[in-house]
Amino acid sequence: MSSIPHDHAAGHEHAHEHHPGGIMRWIMTTNHKDIGTLYLWFSFIMFVAGGSMAMLIRAELFQPGLQLVEPEFFNQLNTVHGLVMIFGAIMPAAVGFANWQVPMMIGAPDMAFGRLNNWSFWLLPFAGLLLLGSFLSPGGAPSAGWTLYPPLSVQTGMGMDMTIFAVHIMGASSIMGSINIITTILNMRAPGMTLMKMPLFVWTWLITAYLLIAVMPVLAGSVTMLLTDRHFGTSFFNAAGGGDPVLFQHVFWFFGHPEVYIMILPAFGIVSTVIPAFARKPLFGYASMVYATASIAILSFLVWAHHMFTVGMPAAGQLFFMYATMLIAVPTGVKVFNWLATMWKGSMTFETPMLFAIGFIFLFTMGGFTGLVLAIVPVDISLHDTYYVVAHFHYVLVAGSLFAFFAGIYYWLPKWTGRMYDETLGKWHFWLSFIFFNITFFPMHFLGLAGMPRRVPDYATQFTDWNVVASIGAFGFGLSQFLLLVAVLKTIRSGAPAPARPWDGADTLEWTLPSPAPYHTFETPPVVK
Amino acid sequence: MQPDIGVRPRRAANLRTATILLSIAAVFFCGIIVAQYSDTPEVAIGVLGLAVLGFLVVSIGRNIGSRGRQ
Repeated sequence: MSSIPHDHAAGHEHAHEHHPGGIMRWIMTTNHKDIGTLYLWFSFIMFVAGGSMAMLIRAELFQPGLQLVEPEFFNQLNTVHGLVMIFGAIMPAAVGFANWQVPMMIGAPDMAFGRLNNWSFWLLPFAGLLLLGSFLSPGGAPSAGWTLYPPLSVQTGMGMDMTIFAVHIMGASSIMGSINIITTILNMRAPGMTLMKMPLFVWTWLITAYLLIAVMPVLAGSVTMLLTDRHFGTSFFNAAGGGDPVLFQHVFWFFGHPEVYIMILPAFGIVSTVIPAFARKPLFGYASMVYATASIAILSFLVWAHHMFTVGMPAAGQLFFMYATMLIAVPTGVKVFNWLATMWKGSMTFETPMLFAIGFIFLFTMGGFTGLVLAIVPVDISLHDTYYVVAHFHYVLVAGSLFAFFAGIYYWLPKWTGRMYDETLGKWHFWLSFIFFNITFFPMHFLGLAGMPRRVPDYATQFTDWNVVASIGAFGFGLSQFLLLVAVLKTIRSGAPAPARPWDGADTLEWTLPSPAPYHTFETPPVVK
Repeated sequence: MQPDIGVRPRRAANLRTATILLSIAAVFFCGIIVAQYSDTPEVAIGVLGLAVLGFLVVSIGRNIGSRGRQ
C-alpha cells in the first residue's frame, strides 16, 4: 500500500449529525468514534491507576529493607499492577485506536455491530472496578503475580475470585471486540480496497483480532478451571488432589505469549503509519510487512514454553522452544529493517509522533535483543525471575506498545479533536519519557545480571545503588505522563484549528475527511482506485 | 469489501462471519477444559489448537480466494 487515490473528496454526509447529548450520549452510543474515545479515556484512567501502583513499588524499593508497605501488600501491588496495565491500559487503548481508525481507514461508515461495540466497552469499567476493588476484599488483592500460577492462586482469598471474574469479563469484552473488528474489516471495506491495499494498521489489527479470538478463550478456560479448583472440588491444577500446577503454566502461556503480540502488533501498525507520514515516503516493503506480521502471529503459538524453561522439560523440548523463539527475530527484523528503509533518504521531520515512533524503534529493538538473550536456555535458567526479565518486558511493553500509542495519539489528535496539539509540550513529553524510561529500566538489566530476584520488597544491600537510580527514573517517568494529559486537554480546549490533512505524508482515507472527523463518515463508501 | 448489496444481505453476511468467529472462541474455551479430562492433555490441547488454526487458515484462504475472483 502506498497512497490511496480515490474519487471521493469528503466521503461524509451531515444528514443526521444530531446525536444524544450529555451522559446518555456516552452510555447509549453505538458510534465508533464515541466508543473509541471511551476506550482511550478508560485506558488512561487505568494507566494512572496501574502507574500509581508502580510508583509505590518503586518507592518501597528505593532503599533495602521494608519502608512503606508490608510484603503481602507489595505482592498484591505487583500482581494488580501487571493485570491493570495489560488488561486495563494497553489492550483497551489498542481497541480504542481500532475503534477510531479502522472504519475511517477502510472507508466504512461504522463498525459492523454497533450495539455489540457499546457492550464490549461498557463491560470494562465493571471489570476494572472488580480488579481494583479486590484490594478491599478480605485477604486483599491477589498476590500470585499476574500469571496467577497455582498453588498460590488456589489458596488465596476472595480477591482472587474477583480477579477471575474480572478476567472473564475482560476476555468476553475482547472477544466481542475482535469479532466486531474482523467482521468490519472483512465485510465493510470500501469498494476497490482489496486486502493488500489496506493500511498496515488495519492489517495488524486484523491479525491481532484473530489472535485474541484464539487465545482469550484459553485464558478464560484456564481461570475457569482455577475457579472450580478453588470452589467446586476439582483438581485440575491442585496438586493436593492429584492435579498438575505445571499444566496451568502450559495453558496460561499458550495464551500469554500470543498476548504479548496482541499488545505489540497494533503498536507495529501505528509505527508503520506514522513513519511514512513523516518520512514523506511510502512504507518500504508493504507486502513483506504484512507477511512478517502474520508470521509473528503464527510463531507466537509455538513458543510458549520459553517462559517455563526452569520447570523442567526434555532437552528436545528446550531446543525446540529456544529455536522457535529465535525464529521470531526474523520477521521482527524484517519490520525493523523496513521502518529504517522507509526513513532512508526520506524528507524527514521530527514532530512528536515521529519522535515517539523513532524512540519506539530504538527501545523496542533493545527489548527484542534482550528477548533473544533470554531465549537461550542456559542463560534463561540463570536469569529467570530476575530483574533482567523485568527490564526486558518493560522495554517491549512500555517503550514498545506505550510509546507507539503515544505516537498514535499525537498523530491522530488533530483528526479526533479538530485542533493541533502543542508541539513544544509534546516534545517535552517525549524527551522526558525517553530519558526517564531509560533511567528506570536500563539499570534493571544490571540488577538482573547481578542476581536480584523480581517480586521482592527487600533486597541485599549491594543492589541499592541501581535501585535508587531506577526509582528516581520511575518517579520522573510517572510525573512526565501528566504532560500527555495536559497536552490532550490543552488541544481540546485551545488548540489551533487543524486542517483536514496536517501531515504532508499522510495518505490514508481518514485524512480525506475534515478535522474533526464528522460524527458520521463514509455513509456513501468512497471508491478506492 | 463492501459488495454492492443491500443492508439486509450485508447484515446477514456480518452475522455469518461473527457466528463462525464466536464458534471458534467457544470451541477453544470448552476444548481447553475438556482436554484436561483426557489421559494426555498436552496432546489433546495440541490437536485442538491445530484443528482451530487449520480451520482459520482454510476459512481465510477461502475468503481471500473468493475476493480475488470478484
